[in-house]
Amino acid sequence: MSMSLLEYARTGTPVEELFICDAHAHMGPYFNFLVNDEGSPGAMVRSMDRLGIDLSIVSPHIAITCDFREGNRHAYEAAEQFPGRILPFVVVNPNFPAAETEAEIARWDAKGILAFKFHASLHGTDTLNDGYTPAYEYANAHSLPILSHSWSGAGGPLKVIETLSGRYPNIQFVNAHSSSGWSVIDASCELAERFERVWLDLTGSRLVYGGVERMVARVGAERILWGTDSPFIDPRPGLGRMLCADLTDEDKRKILGENARGLYRL
Amino acid sequence: MASGSDREGGRLRWLDCNARIGAWSNPQPEQFMDAAGLTDAWDRVGIEGGLVYHAWGWEWSPARANEMLLEEVAAEPRMRPCYVALPHATHEMEPVLRFAAQVRQSRGAVRIFPAKHGWSTQDWCAGALFDALQSTSVPLLVDITQVSWDAIAGICAGHPRLNVIVLETFYRVDRMVYPLMERYPKLHLEANTYAPFLGPEGIVSNFGAERLVFGTAMPELDAGGPMALVSYADVSEEDRAKIAGGNLLRLLGEEE
Repeated sequence: MSMSLLEYARTGTPVEELFICDAHAHMGPYFNFLVNDEGSPGAMVRSMDRLGIDLSIVSPHIAITCDFREGNRHAYEAAEQFPGRILPFVVVNPNFPAAETEAEIARWDAKGILAFKFHASLHGTDTLNDGYTPAYEYANAHSLPILSHSWSGAGGPLKVIETLSGRYPNIQFVNAHSSSGWSVIDASCELAERFERVWLDLTGSRLVYGGVERMVARVGAERILWGTDSPFIDPRPGLGRMLCADLTDEDKRKILGENARGLYRL
Repeated sequence: MASGSDREGGRLRWLDCNARIGAWSNPQPEQFMDAAGLTDAWDRVGIEGGLVYHAWGWEWSPARANEMLLEEVAAEPRMRPCYVALPHATHEMEPVLRFAAQVRQSRGAVRIFPAKHGWSTQDWCAGALFDALQSTSVPLLVDITQVSWDAIAGICAGHPRLNVIVLETFYRVDRMVYPLMERYPKLHLEANTYAPFLGPEGIVSNFGAERLVFGTAMPELDAGGPMALVSYADVSEEDRAKIAGGNLLRLLGEEE
């Protein structure tokens, strides 16, 4: 590269030399704040172009709130509209009967399922809810990752991952929002240190000074994934934080895209 | 922090409206506390200088913190003092007009922590302070954890010539920010954690680039995020320069 990644951020230059994957994105409007341009797929891709983001993996806001089926449809439609730029997570809501979840998974199985996204918090439950079982079983049978807003449940994330990883030996567990404050960083690192199938996702709004550097020092760069929550949050702060981090460009390259490429078989 | 053009040599001038020095209660090993740490952090990402407050003013004594701050910034020309203020009635600080004149003379600004310090922004409590800042053209900074949006509206309504910069707003705020921006032209936002999707573009197109001011919140938060929010913004180069540093210079009375 002709200039450092930090210089890209300083000058607002699209980072076209690297593969950059936003491995935690959303889509569409949201109920309790303004999302400009309604967070449309087109607006997202224009934003990605401006920054040099190659690919975003999305779970629409409607899917993680009121209507997971409509949201999954939006995500697959966006992926068809912008091939190679947007890929869908499949969202399930465990409050619905298992037969409906199985039908929803079967609906997208024919088109291919990359991974699942759980948002137990917005769905008013936790990740040990039996309603998630069809998704866990599918993910385990196909060796897929699951991105979860948090690994919530009785005993806390350590106990939950211990339970789930024992039950489902082929699932990769992506822990969202792993860097949102110091206590979260330390707890997330402990999770990754204890369980080799745990990946740490950097998505978040409170980007503490030196936080990502501590994460890399503790667990290495190889199981850290970059994501932004866009368009829930603008993607630029997350990108700027990574480009300016006090890390080697090689570590930044892994975190910004290469790790996601491997995990999601892109 | 020298006065002058908001672009020098064709490069953006980055000026930070929100940085801190001094010891506080729960630092992390990665965070700096002294002026040298801040200038090193600024240098790493190419920030020229900015407004600095002292952590003692947040967690201990505003008056003592301001004395310490003045010693620190006297030795570091890249730093401008951001005094921490209290209302006048308890006489914990200089009389407000004398205080405001001192701030103005040092080309500084004032930051308040009403929630943490236990006072009200209503005029019966803080009106004299805000009047003094307004009459001396001293900007007022406050982060949104310290006041409600209703309180911001009250400050702006009661002191319409007072420049107010709201800090660390995060992204769920536009349904409050837009009506306030419409009504109060001296209201500004720190372009740091203000991160709704395409948020800066929305503010610039609806209210003008003059309303956004670059800041980092170091050593609490990272500098690269706010920098990218500005550097990648889909705005004119002139507007970008205003947000990166020009607006802060103007608010501190250093516009060319």
